[in-house]
Amino acid sequence: MTPKETNPNFMNGVPELLILRLLQQEEMYGYEIVQAIRSRTEAVVAVGEGVVYPVLHGLERDGALKSRRKPVNGRSRIYYTVTPAGSRRLADLSESWNSLTGAIQKMLRGGHHGKVTS
Amino acid sequence: MEKSLHELRERLLRSGVAPRHVRRYVAELDDHLADLRAEGEGAGLSRAEADSAALVRLGGIDELSAAMAERTRFRSWCSKAPWAAFGLAPVIFLSGNYLVACLILWTGWNIFLPGVRSPFIPVSGLAMPYFAVGKTIFFCAPVVIGWGIGFIAARQRLRAFWPLIGLLLVSLVGGMARVHAVPPSHAAAAGHVSMSLALGDFVLGITNGLLHAFVILLFTAVPYLLWQGTRLRWTHQGANSLR
Repeated sequence: MTPKETNPNFMNGVPELLILRLLQQEEMYGYEIVQAIRSRTEAVVAVGEGVVYPVLHGLERDGALKSRRKPVNGRSRIYYTVTPAGSRRLADLSESWNSLTGAIQKMLRGGHHGKVTS
Repeated sequence: MEKSLHELRERLLRSGVAPRHVRRYVAELDDHLADLRAEGEGAGLSRAEADSAALVRLGGIDELSAAMAERTRFRSWCSKAPWAAFGLAPVIFLSGNYLVACLILWTGWNIFLPGVRSPFIPVSGLAMPYFAVGKTIFFCAPVVIGWGIGFIAARQRLRAFWPLIGLLLVSLVGGMARVHAVPPSHAAAAGHVSMSLALGDFVLGITNGLLHAFVILLFTAVPYLLWQGTRLRWTHQGANSLR
């Protein structure tokens, strides 16, 4: 397998936010989640697809998600859904993300005022 | 299963991730890989092309392994606190087994041998299987717990140091454990059962406590060490075949 470049610090918290948002709408399994993220972000957010599973397992362990096995075409797939605790976490994460992006946008718009002098 | 997923499983187990998390992660990745392959073939790629495209999209072994291993919450207790898992827990578990064995001896003494000054006498009828259960627990517990230590260590691909410490402790406690029956002070009262650790008398230049401990260690450490040797040989062969 070929390693792919990612920026884990910049992506910190983003996979959780996207996953919780997607799963709040409908029950999905890993492959579906990754494809949905890929299509809805127009492939801007792209990491190794397998990396989604530790995030899902972590959220499940925190009680933000619950899973169930469902047999599909002779295979047993694990489907995930958001719990009430997951909905609260999504609201918190969304709020933090909105205030962060708002602050960055504000700074970018007013960037010429903050001229750096040497 | 894909060869690289086997390698990923081994790497995760060696890095201390609990086997149940590894099993589920690898199973989901395997399923995901099958979906990616099907997607590639559906898009007109050949089987080989679909395979290699699927592996690239799934992520590299380093990335997949780091994503799981860096989350300490998925680590097993054997990896987080080996001293507790192999030093403390087996001794506590062995003590629990001895407690059950002593309870069986004490209740058997009161039920089948009331007024007799010691339960360590030949018995017959229902008392025979009853006391046999207690004896079996007492003598087999150290060996079974030792096998358990070996099995857990093997399943989690652990280094031999802590499992061997655990085996040594269980063997010493198992070899030196002694049961005492104190006779009742008067005919109507019940006697009591206690335990102690003792080296015992010398037999062939070694105390029988240590001899018993050595026999337990032999029965438990030899299968584990044989497995360790086989695993190292496989790892070595696997590394050579990848070159």
